[in-house]
Amino acid sequence: MLIAAQPAWGTLTALVLFILASMWIGVLANRATRAGSFMKGFFLGNRGLGSWALALTATVQSGGTFMGYPSLVYTHGWSVVLWIAAYMVVPITGFGILGKRLAEISRRCGAITMPDLFRERFGSPGLGLLASLFILFYMSFMMVAQFKAGALVMKIAWVGSDSWSEDQKVGRYRITDGGIARLTKEGVPANVVAALDPLKDQLYATEIQFSEQVRGELAKMKPAPSPEQATAWAHRIAAVSELTDWPYITGLLVFTVSVVGYTLIGGFLAAVWTDLFQSVMMWVGVLVFLLLALRGVAMLQHEEVARGAPAVVAQMNSLEFANRRAIEKTGPDFAFSPGYDGKHEGRSFLPLSLAFSFFWIWVFAGLGSPAGIVRIMACRSTTNIRRSIYLLGVYNAFIYIPLAMISICGRALLPDLPVGKTDDVIPMLAMKVTSGLPFGEFVSGLILAAPFGAVMATVSSYLVVIASGLVRDVYQRFVRPAAASRELELLSYGVMTSIGVISVVTNLAPVDYLQAIVVFSGTGAGATFCVPMLMLVFWRRATVPGMVVAMLSGAGTMLGLYYLGAVLGWGDPLLGEATRFRPYFLLGLDPLLWSLAVSLATGVGVSLLTRTCDETMLSKYFDAEEPVSGVPANSVAAEMPA
Amino acid sequence: MPTDAPRREDPILKSARREAVIVFATWIVALTYTVGYCARYGYGRRAEDLRYIFGFPDWVFWGIVVPWGVCVVFSWIFASLLMTDEDLGEDPPGTEANPTALADEQIQDA
Repeated sequence: MLIAAQPAWGTLTALVLFILASMWIGVLANRATRAGSFMKGFFLGNRGLGSWALALTATVQSGGTFMGYPSLVYTHGWSVVLWIAAYMVVPITGFGILGKRLAEISRRCGAITMPDLFRERFGSPGLGLLASLFILFYMSFMMVAQFKAGALVMKIAWVGSDSWSEDQKVGRYRITDGGIARLTKEGVPANVVAALDPLKDQLYATEIQFSEQVRGELAKMKPAPSPEQATAWAHRIAAVSELTDWPYITGLLVFTVSVVGYTLIGGFLAAVWTDLFQSVMMWVGVLVFLLLALRGVAMLQHEEVARGAPAVVAQMNSLEFANRRAIEKTGPDFAFSPGYDGKHEGRSFLPLSLAFSFFWIWVFAGLGSPAGIVRIMACRSTTNIRRSIYLLGVYNAFIYIPLAMISICGRALLPDLPVGKTDDVIPMLAMKVTSGLPFGEFVSGLILAAPFGAVMATVSSYLVVIASGLVRDVYQRFVRPAAASRELELLSYGVMTSIGVISVVTNLAPVDYLQAIVVFSGTGAGATFCVPMLMLVFWRRATVPGMVVAMLSGAGTMLGLYYLGAVLGWGDPLLGEATRFRPYFLLGLDPLLWSLAVSLATGVGVSLLTRTCDETMLSKYFDAEEPVSGVPANSVAAEMPA
Repeated sequence: MPTDAPRREDPILKSARREAVIVFATWIVALTYTVGYCARYGYGRRAEDLRYIFGFPDWVFWGIVVPWGVCVVFSWIFASLLMTDEDLGEDPPGTEANPTALADEQIQDA
């Protein structure tokens, strides 16, 4: 057990404060939302996002990135900084390419959601529906994964009894007195039941682990049953064992109720404002953490000098000292690309082809992210778009580089985290460097609460996108166009609550491969929407068939390459991150690159082969608006009889 | 009424296109430099040759930290000097996105 098995009061207090602050923000957002119509207020915040809200919430990746990235640096070393390096241009690409035109077009057509854009710009309800189906597909994947992360953090704070490692299966199998009574009643021999006694009331993470233990105990019986008999009994015993892990379920419920609660109260604005709040907290947390981590390394350095280390050690920069320590503990590969291979299995974390790929991935997955696009649509003015570019530039630089430095210090201070437990580097390091400080536990609590906040904010923004997809793009557009505002409001609340319930149910048996699922849906959305969005915004000649083909072929290429890698097992499993849910890297490149290429080729090709869109409609989005004094050529008024 | 006058391109489209070209160029330059530099100095090196600059391995400092700083400065230049402000317009009256205007019109009609 890595973390002491007692409630981490500091963390718990910080989490409760976070939840209360988010609820309060939800209430504030609710008031601000009431100004306009329900739909525009609840799902788009009345197009009132300022620079800070836009900068820190539109392109920042999910909470998963913040939790996964330090673990990767700890595991593979400095090459991970090359892996994330494209974030240096993400502020410019995220707002500078689509920003202005998206904001403009969404106003010209009165779009509230991303599918609205497709529908109105091309006058095609079918295209809008296709877009919303894709959004619902990717967002649902993302959501489910995020709920598990939120529940795990909550659980650690609650009982302090577990780690938040992604690959850890949550403990679920336990044989109780009730289970033993049932076995006896079902006619399992008494000596078999007696053999289970040592296993009573212990938690086992997986069914495999549990069955192995059961079979281990059965093998000790005299006479030992045959392997077939033991397996059959193990299955029956597993069937009556208790499948619960109350701390995890409590964490899941608290997380779900709070995040669904404040999103329901404040809608889009609540999601954005809590996101902003947690982003700022994260920034403060990371910078404080960096100072504490460097201080921890400096103390280690002094100890070594006091023990008679050479004078050169005393003069060394603390980060350099941390590096040298980390390299001593790992190997020279830690300082170079393609990265340190801790399991010595021949893994190449970041071969050059993937370093190249990731410069595309972060840029284009951000560009095609539905949650990000909606936020740009909601910005107040171009001034806000411009400002958010450099605000985010500074923010990213002071998040990702310090986090890498912290994780390197982590490798020096906690050199021996076992493989599979490396996601604990941040919580454990936080506890280590704050121990002995006044209010140390609370400070470490604040540092730990930041990723929790990030996950909450992510879930909240996806809730809004999914609810708007169902209520606006499906119900209002196709089921009941005449639905009254109050009806849509109630329906939105109902949808959000249902999503919460579904997520709890699906997460009772938590998903594996959390980070891999996040990467899959993020790059999948990029593959589906990047080229269509660029065509929508800049290309007059784009046609509906062209758009449909661009979306389908981008998504299809992505799914196909994942199918080849994850299901058929093509390609080298020692390439990139260690996960079984991996794509096939054709020629070593990430599927997103192939998907973008295919999407672009087919989208442009089919558009050129099909008939151009209606000129009146195009004029609305591509030509200057006539001065107010003259009657616009394309307006309804012009067609009316005088 | 000049309905058949040659159409004038939307000024936002024009400036947005120009800015998008600058951004794509920035991305390509950053990609070429960073991936190129790191390919040359970050791969296949011996630990003995490694130097540290402010505690960063030399290739990380020159290949990632420095260009990151340049990008931050450039994003300020781009956003403040190269990118123009435009009027984004209003939501069309009579839609869900602008119901107040709808109400106003109905009042006028009445």
